[in-house]
Amino acid sequence: MLDQFALSQAFGLLFSSFDPWIWVIPGLLIGLVFGSIPGLQISMAMAVFLPVTFGMDFLQAMLFLTAIFTGGAYGGGVTAILMNIPGSSSSIATAFDGYPMARQGKHNEALGLGLAASVVGSFIGYILLLLLIGPMAALVLKIGPMEMVVVVLWGLTLIATLNDGNVAKGLFAGFLGLLLSQIGMSTTGIMRTTVGNPHLLDGIPAVPAMIGIFAASELLRLRGSSYLVTDEAQRDISLRKILAGVAETFRYPAVLLRGSLIGAGIGAIPGVGSSVANLVSYGEARRTSRTPEAFGKGAPEGVIAAESANSSSEGGSMTALLALGIPGGAATAVLLAAFSFHNIIGGPSFIRNQTDVVYSIILGNLGQVLLLAVVGLLMLRVLGMVVRVPLAYLVPSVLAMCAWGGYGITGTIAGPLTVAAFALLGWLMRRNAYPVAATVIGLLLGRMMEGELVRTLQISNNQPMTYLLERPIALVLAIAMLAVLVGAPSLKALRARKARRAGQ
Amino acid sequence: MSARLSASHAAFLGIVLAITGFILWSALSASTSLNNLIVVAPAALLLGVLALCIVVTVLRSPDADPAPAGALGDLLLLAGFGIFCYALTHVGFDVATFVFVWAGIVMSGGRSLWVPPLYAAIFSLALVKGFGSLFPYPMLTLVL
Repeated sequence: MLDQFALSQAFGLLFSSFDPWIWVIPGLLIGLVFGSIPGLQISMAMAVFLPVTFGMDFLQAMLFLTAIFTGGAYGGGVTAILMNIPGSSSSIATAFDGYPMARQGKHNEALGLGLAASVVGSFIGYILLLLLIGPMAALVLKIGPMEMVVVVLWGLTLIATLNDGNVAKGLFAGFLGLLLSQIGMSTTGIMRTTVGNPHLLDGIPAVPAMIGIFAASELLRLRGSSYLVTDEAQRDISLRKILAGVAETFRYPAVLLRGSLIGAGIGAIPGVGSSVANLVSYGEARRTSRTPEAFGKGAPEGVIAAESANSSSEGGSMTALLALGIPGGAATAVLLAAFSFHNIIGGPSFIRNQTDVVYSIILGNLGQVLLLAVVGLLMLRVLGMVVRVPLAYLVPSVLAMCAWGGYGITGTIAGPLTVAAFALLGWLMRRNAYPVAATVIGLLLGRMMEGELVRTLQISNNQPMTYLLERPIALVLAIAMLAVLVGAPSLKALRARKARRAGQ
Repeated sequence: MSARLSASHAAFLGIVLAITGFILWSALSASTSLNNLIVVAPAALLLGVLALCIVVTVLRSPDADPAPAGALGDLLLLAGFGIFCYALTHVGFDVATFVFVWAGIVMSGGRSLWVPPLYAAIFSLALVKGFGSLFPYPMLTLVL
């Protein structure tokens, strides 16, 4: 499975001098800052700093850019926990339980949980990449639209579980997101609902919409309070409590491992990645938990499941890049650009001929993950200070940053106006107990769902069920999904009924 | 039928149903092919059914639809936010941010006379010189 000679050469490349590591800590810090500011995306950070890598050698450049990637993946979770603002779509599920924990004065513990889950998740993701890069690359090539439909459907099933009190409201919010995702040019090139506005040709920009519906609407709700954490005694930034959160992560090994495996698996599928991985992982953690009713109210398992999955998906996303030369998302596309600057082409020949370099990139990333634990712990003390800022100052400041973030993503007035429109929608939804997260999930996955469904119909000649039987991976995924969604709850209900009968 | 829908709930459902109707009409007008309606039609249909279920549930519930307080203050800040978003590219990022942050602090309960404008000025400067310098797009400013 592992080429021992190439592995020893990789250790030589990494540890014979300090040069490959010089840019790792600055990269992690840049990623943390970009990840934690809504609207500044990791891919944007990598693109901004790409020219800096011209003067570096290939390994140094890769470690610098992947350090930004690693730091950014965790940075998005920090604001999700502290302010209910997911820095990117990969941190949506982190906010579900991280933010309620912060409001209860457990922000230190939540940040510790997120950091430890991110570090372990990334570590597992890269270990899997190191061991399975060959077989995983072969598997990725077999993934087609039918498999994608099943994976996206799995992500969408989370919608139904987001509002325990009123399932109809949860579904209503989810279908609203799905419908809004259909604005703009369809997969087959048909114009829908653009009202003659060129900004709507590509549909509603998802990230500004997410910032508006999540962050701006939440900030409006906070307006009347004095601080994020009401109890003054709990507003401290405590390293001891952060470390307690880190330790608590390991009390849920199954959630941690499952989240990491889901993240690595889904992350390897080009175009799907961490935004689906964190939702699927959160949904599975909730379904299998002994206390599903605690989810959404500050359950540590929720934070662990989301953060471990979005971090391990980073390792997964590198599979397609290194083994096939295909970027799975915007961040890996920037990495591919760095490849071309150094006259390197990813793909089977890269793995075959430069195995030592591939291994050194993966091992370097494992080292980065350990450094993230240290840098993260130091930075959390600074980032956590947001709970000490009076809300009268925090609310308008962050609202302004949300609008700026919307502009940063689209480069036009469409971004800030989308943030404002979705802030109103989110405000109305929150006032009437509709889960805004369900709308975001629908919005994010709707367009992907339509594209993959249309492609499946075209490939299968309008016979998707017959086609499903010819696709073993899709069939296994569909059976696993049905077993998890229908089989597990039925089994649980049956056991509960048996227990009740035995008790009578 | 002892309870009624709160105004904000009725407004929300009304807005969503109007948007749903418009998107469905627009999609149907563009093309009635299966490829075009594969997500739109089922989603619109289910939204209509779910809206009906929600309204019936609320109307049949013995408890009144709760209406949280503080709507006017929220709506004022929201309107200010909408104007601010529009003003960014029409007035300038610097001035729009300064005015919005100052007004926002006052609306959120900031009482000091000189701290809010000072804070708003420093914050706007930091955003323009920090956040703004990272934008790959041109950014309109009036003063800075």
